[in-house]
Amino acid sequence: MKRILFSTLLMGAVVLQADGTVKIALTGPFTGGSAPMGASMRDGATLAIAEINATGGIQVGNQKMKIQTIERDDEAKNERGALIAQELAAMGDLSGVIGTVNTGVCLSGDKHFQAKGITKIICPAAGSASMTQWSKAGVKDVSIFRFAAHDGIQSAMVIEAAINRNFTKVAVVFDSTNYGVSGRDDMLDQIRKQGNKLQVVAQEKFNIGDKDMTAQLLRAKSAGAQAILIWGIGPELAAVANGMAKLGMNAPLIGGWTLSMSNFIDNAGKNGNGTLMPQTFIEEPFTAKAKSFIEGYHKTFKVERIPSPVSAAQGYDAVYLFAAAVRQAQSTDTHKIKEALENLKEPVKGVIATWVHPFSSWDPADEQTHEAFRREQTVMGMVKDGRVIFANAADKDRLIKAALGATAKAPTKAPAKSKKS
Amino acid sequence: MTLPIFAQMAVSGAFMGLVYALIAYGFQLTYATSKSINFGQGELVMVSAFFSLTLLNLGVPYWAMIPCGLVFGAAMGLVIERTAVRLALEQKSEGWILLSIIGGLFLFSTAENIWGRDDHPFPTPMSTDPIHVLGVDVTRNEIAVAVGVFAIMGLIELFKRRTLLGKAFEAVSADRDAAELMGISATRTVMLSYGLSGAVAAVAGILVSPITTVGPTMASALILKAFSVAVVAGLDSGFGVVVIGMMLGILESLSSFQLGSGWREAPGLVLLILALALRPTGVFGKTAIRKV
Repeated sequence: MKRILFSTLLMGAVVLQADGTVKIALTGPFTGGSAPMGASMRDGATLAIAEINATGGIQVGNQKMKIQTIERDDEAKNERGALIAQELAAMGDLSGVIGTVNTGVCLSGDKHFQAKGITKIICPAAGSASMTQWSKAGVKDVSIFRFAAHDGIQSAMVIEAAINRNFTKVAVVFDSTNYGVSGRDDMLDQIRKQGNKLQVVAQEKFNIGDKDMTAQLLRAKSAGAQAILIWGIGPELAAVANGMAKLGMNAPLIGGWTLSMSNFIDNAGKNGNGTLMPQTFIEEPFTAKAKSFIEGYHKTFKVERIPSPVSAAQGYDAVYLFAAAVRQAQSTDTHKIKEALENLKEPVKGVIATWVHPFSSWDPADEQTHEAFRREQTVMGMVKDGRVIFANAADKDRLIKAALGATAKAPTKAPAKSKKS
Repeated sequence: MTLPIFAQMAVSGAFMGLVYALIAYGFQLTYATSKSINFGQGELVMVSAFFSLTLLNLGVPYWAMIPCGLVFGAAMGLVIERTAVRLALEQKSEGWILLSIIGGLFLFSTAENIWGRDDHPFPTPMSTDPIHVLGVDVTRNEIAVAVGVFAIMGLIELFKRRTLLGKAFEAVSADRDAAELMGISATRTVMLSYGLSGAVAAVAGILVSPITTVGPTMASALILKAFSVAVVAGLDSGFGVVVIGMMLGILESLSSFQLGSGWREAPGLVLLILALALRPTGVFGKTAIRKV
């Protein structure tokens, strides 16, 4: 309630001076099973916007423009996402959109933004299809960017983690949504790319809302799976972890970044310990910037733990990238902002990293041009006693360096693809 | 399928089936006295679970929470009876169908507004470590479900058979008009049945929550299956729901293992159709002779 009050106050304060504002829409599921991601992304973005507005706004020409936000809850439903996209795309003065958590919502809604050329930064939906839909169709120019470690990177890391632990037999478990199915495809693809060292002994599917995973897990167990590689969303992931504990399965759970969602960690309790997942941000004050971000979030939204730290940090950095693009374009025109985003001249200091030229001009043959994240901004996280910590200490040092800008280099042409294999 | 796997799936399914049976039993209680059913029974399960969870979060110990949850469930049952059922029954209309659905929707929205749409874990004092019995893993929560289901059903059946109020309940179930002529208040008895049905819903909520987590939609899948169980067993079958409930649960988990998880719901529906075609009054139902 307080959170809603806070954001309404914040919005109210900006609405007062509707002239000379930059209008940004924040969309995502703020209620339901995906809400930890959507709400954290929104809150992280709101925090960044409040910081920018507190300095007077973004300098455009000779005036400082404040950021005004429009929030829309898509409830993680594809059809609602499409309606919201239509509504936002019809607004004449919208500078851009940040958000969307669910890959299915990207697939149903983003075409409306693309049709009008409205700049959208997808954050934090990770499913590969949200960007490859444009490269597969060979679209010449795309106004959709992504600011999240896409499933290509994540699945590569998951398979790597399984191979490094000397597993040979794994079960691939996934939910029946666009996200789950495309995650399965990515994992199977990565198993091939990394030399077929893993034998998939079971492929099991579950639906959103399923609570009893006994059948799927028993099949995996009886086939001799040494690890469960999984793609799904918080509540069902927790049902899987609890089911494994019930069946006495000690096989580790390795999967997409959603294994860091608060509704996985809380509902799985101690059964979630040891779970591994790729992360772009760990809620640890490993740099001064991270410390002030985490403290700011805790204080503003009155929580002791960010529901989804990755989403919050990505939402925060995405706003700073967008603001940098507005400053460079010297305009609130969404088309000019898109061009500026593709060629950001100044490095942007974020909480995840210092972003140097994160995007480049769209190449229909390579969707990596509109993907900000590479392997080096992503680390392995591990659940321990209700929190996500660094799985490897070396990753922490690397992130510290990246945040300080020491190793940040221009990742224009995707090295990520080759790096995966 | 090897024997241990078969046993594991059957046992897991049977425990879930007991929950269906308990909710189905709630349908039976009200049907017996008033020939009406609360279509908002699932929402009653859900709000009772939320209420109990709130008590736990306020620091009420688990064992003290159970009676409070039961009283809350019974009170909600009485509210449904007063607002949705009594008027319709007095006018001999079928309005209770719509009214009880509306009651359920109202509870659903209320729950969403008070507790939000997220799923919450439901802590219990029991350890979540599995116990191995003859090669089958069961959790303490599942055993609690079995014990709870039999305890509450046993208590209510004893009450119906051994106490004066319970005999009045049976009398109204057997013949409402004759019972009224004997000086039994049918209205009070219907109230009693709705109260009991609400308490049963609360028990179901408290027992199933540690397994399914608590959320506004937690009962929507359960309720359909419970309804199938009640209809297949017969709406006046007493303990028949236990047999059918366990059977449905076992069938579900075996078919999701054997045919794939997408086919989980199919056998229950086939069972429902078969039962309605072959034994319209239910497998354990009594064929009533209606004198016109």
